[in-house]
Amino acid sequence: MGIETLTLDRSAIQGEEMVLNIGPQHPSTHGVLRLQVVTDGEIVTKITPYIGYLHRCFEKHCENVTYEQVIPFVDRCDYIASMNNNFGYAVAMEELMGIEVSEKVHYIRVIVAELNRIASHLLAIGTFGLDVGAFTPFLYCFRDRERILDLFELLCGARLLYNYIWVGGVSHDFPIGFVEKVYEFLDYFEPKIQEYNDLLTFNKIFIERTADVGVLPADVAISYGVSGPNLRGSGVKWDLRKNEPYSIYNKFDFDIPIGTGAMGTVGGCWDRYYVRIRELEESVKITRQALDQIPREGDVHAALPKKIRPPKGHVYSRTETPRGDLGFYIISDGKPKPFRLKLRSPAFTALSCINEIARGWMIADVIAILGSLDIVLGEIDR
Amino acid sequence: MIRYFSNIWQSITTLLIGMRITLVHLAKARKGIVTLQYPEERWPRPERNIGFSHDSYNVIRSRLHVDMDDCIGCLKCERACPVDCIHITTVKVEKGTDIPEANHVGITSYGTQKRLLVTRFDIDMSECCYCNLCVYPCPEDCIFMTGGPNSSKQEIDYEFSEFNRSDMIFRFAKVPKDQVEKYTPPPKEKVKGDVAG
Amino acid sequence: MVDLLLQKFSEVSFLSGMPSALLFVLAATLIALPLFMFVAVNALVAVYAERKISAFMQDRLGPMGQGVGLHAGKWGLLQTVADAIKLLIKEDIIPALADRKLFILAPFILFVGAFIVFVGIPFNQHILVADFNIGVFYIIAMSSIGVIGIIMAGYSSNNKWSLYGAMRSAAQIISYEIPLALSLITVIMLVGSLKMQDIIIAQHGLIWGILPNWFIFNNPFTFIAFFIFFISGVAEVNRTPFDLPEAESELVAGFHTEYSGMRWAFFFLAEYANMFIVAAMTSIIFLGGWQSPIPGFLNGPGWGLFWFFSKAGFLIFVMMWFRWTFPRLRTDQLMQMCWKYFLPFSLINLLGVGLWDLWLN
Repeated sequence: MGIETLTLDRSAIQGEEMVLNIGPQHPSTHGVLRLQVVTDGEIVTKITPYIGYLHRCFEKHCENVTYEQVIPFVDRCDYIASMNNNFGYAVAMEELMGIEVSEKVHYIRVIVAELNRIASHLLAIGTFGLDVGAFTPFLYCFRDRERILDLFELLCGARLLYNYIWVGGVSHDFPIGFVEKVYEFLDYFEPKIQEYNDLLTFNKIFIERTADVGVLPADVAISYGVSGPNLRGSGVKWDLRKNEPYSIYNKFDFDIPIGTGAMGTVGGCWDRYYVRIRELEESVKITRQALDQIPREGDVHAALPKKIRPPKGHVYSRTETPRGDLGFYIISDGKPKPFRLKLRSPAFTALSCINEIARGWMIADVIAILGSLDIVLGEIDR
Repeated sequence: MIRYFSNIWQSITTLLIGMRITLVHLAKARKGIVTLQYPEERWPRPERNIGFSHDSYNVIRSRLHVDMDDCIGCLKCERACPVDCIHITTVKVEKGTDIPEANHVGITSYGTQKRLLVTRFDIDMSECCYCNLCVYPCPEDCIFMTGGPNSSKQEIDYEFSEFNRSDMIFRFAKVPKDQVEKYTPPPKEKVKGDVAG
Repeated sequence: MVDLLLQKFSEVSFLSGMPSALLFVLAATLIALPLFMFVAVNALVAVYAERKISAFMQDRLGPMGQGVGLHAGKWGLLQTVADAIKLLIKEDIIPALADRKLFILAPFILFVGAFIVFVGIPFNQHILVADFNIGVFYIIAMSSIGVIGIIMAGYSSNNKWSLYGAMRSAAQIISYEIPLALSLITVIMLVGSLKMQDIIIAQHGLIWGILPNWFIFNNPFTFIAFFIFFISGVAEVNRTPFDLPEAESELVAGFHTEYSGMRWAFFFLAEYANMFIVAAMTSIIFLGGWQSPIPGFLNGPGWGLFWFFSKAGFLIFVMMWFRWTFPRLRTDQLMQMCWKYFLPFSLINLLGVGLWDLWLN
């Protein structure tokens, strides 16, 4: 027997590849997403996401309802952060119609948007913990998210889909005592961030599971159009609230947390997760400043147009939701219904890079990477 | 080698910190529990309706209710609904027609003269998206969500589950369909049809 | 204990005429029945405890009720009973493409693997089905039978998730047997016997005047061995953070994805029985079993039961505590932890205990 027969023949040890469908009914696909993964043992060699299980014809639907009636549908796109979606739509429409809203409306919008950002990040953190197997942080996050939902219920009666921020204003003023209640919540909430950190963030098992896993390099992230905490996790300092300030975000003093690779490579799941934790602190900071400065007097309905009939034209406007740059492209033909409305979904772009970053990892890592991207299928499928 | 032992050390310390947190929560279980035992306990509905000019704002999301005595059949709520769950049919009646079933006195509580008889006012609550958009345009404030600031008019009702989907359609019109002819003016008069089809 | 019963039977007149094989079966059944009841009750109690502990750790209430009726009884005490009834009357579903025979057999093999271990576990000074002279060896051997059931379940379900779960479980259980057995050997080296009662009796007395002479306190090496043994045990019974075979966020439910109703309940019974076995073994080998912490104080047979169950119960609580605190490891990290951390440490322990014993004697 010659030595050449002893050389390793890779094809002999390579097993058959298996196609595995993760979802649409699976505990951790964050909605109804189907990931078709090709696996070699535990290693995933190819991932193809199949979307559309939650398609509701949002964009077509908007062409058949008036501009006011779009808002409840916008709510249902990213149902975790409805306020931010409302905000994005209102900003786009005000740009199209040239409406200047009052100071007070700006402050109200910033406060509710930041509160909703906290709620959304809490959900992202909690479900990410759940994806890597930690059950308890999930319930702690929900416990605190519940308080924000209570605040919103006090504010506008609804707990999840608010229809609160309107074109040219907001639907109601703050009730008396609301500002104090928000202060109370922030005082309660700030120490809780430390609890999440102790319980989950700096847990060695959690770090082992997430740091270095699913690294999304900055150039790949930019070329895929990934935005929001996912992009910042890769170390790119890009936040529309700072880079292209809309509303009154230029009045506030806050930092943009970016992934530093404290526990591993920059852009790993842990960095994306930790950016969200840090953003909780920043949102608390912004909310505190806004609460300090909010003018007590003023009519929130002052700039509300009697009938929304924008002039002919089009607008593209983007805002920073908890998931990234939410863009609205609205074409108006002068009628009370939009001619075309296009939503640029940040979660969609985040999902699109999953094959790039999760290939070569194990099945357990694919779940963790999916969780760290914090996708909402309602927004992806629309 | 240093990394090997620091890994062990970090594992032990961070895991113990995590265990301490859950143990503290277990020990303080009496105080920290946030569960609400729903049918027995209910979350207090937030006190709203306070503050400047909030009285006119309807800020609760629950079952829609229509006060038919005040409805003038203007169809504004039907047009505002983004999901078309409100269906209204109105019939023009001659001025001064007395309709006892509809408590038709002709004047609403805001003093508006009614000109239309509402023969159908159906709200399909299974389609409703609770956006509250139908409430704002109402000139008579007769369509509203129950409870909250409207508690004096209608008690809160947010748990209206039914076994049959058709039971989720709430019919508010007081004049039954078969009696509509009685009040319908002669056929040459224009009858306002059902806009939604 | 079987011999004891057979002896008793021979004294009874109407039984003496029966064939001895029949008598033996009768005696074995009489012992197995209470053991089976114990396993079932253990699962009931442990499930309730787990629900309540997890609930309180997560700021929840857990199962609650206002009385009998549609509610789950006061404090939800009837919740597990209701669960058991539900599982009993639930439809038995076998997937069309499943390997029917193996599918039906798998839960029983898993359960039997857990059940026969109880033969070797001393509950107190007297309650012990059989005090083998190879007791520890028997338990280690028998507790590995369960993995056959898991592999059968995973293979026969004809489900990719189940197969993954089974494969993970096989790798995990076989790997963790080694540190488990090596840390057991440290104690056996000190005792010089594989008999369970001998191990417990060797832990009688005080050490350094204050601490009970349990093997966990005996020397630094057995102290480390205790942790290695317990954590490997947790890994053996597939509890978080080592619950990879049934990781619900990755492999829907792992090897028992396709099981429902009573067949699933057997997996469940086996899991809680295994939990009890690991806790019992750890408390027997390292925490003095039925020995009282203060020698000569409260050490009758009844108190022996009490001490044994409180030690085992505490360890079960710790397992639940782990489960509701930690995230889950990944397959390769699990293997890394076993082969790169536990195995070297248990080998060093082995050497260390040997030297310690030599140095002291």
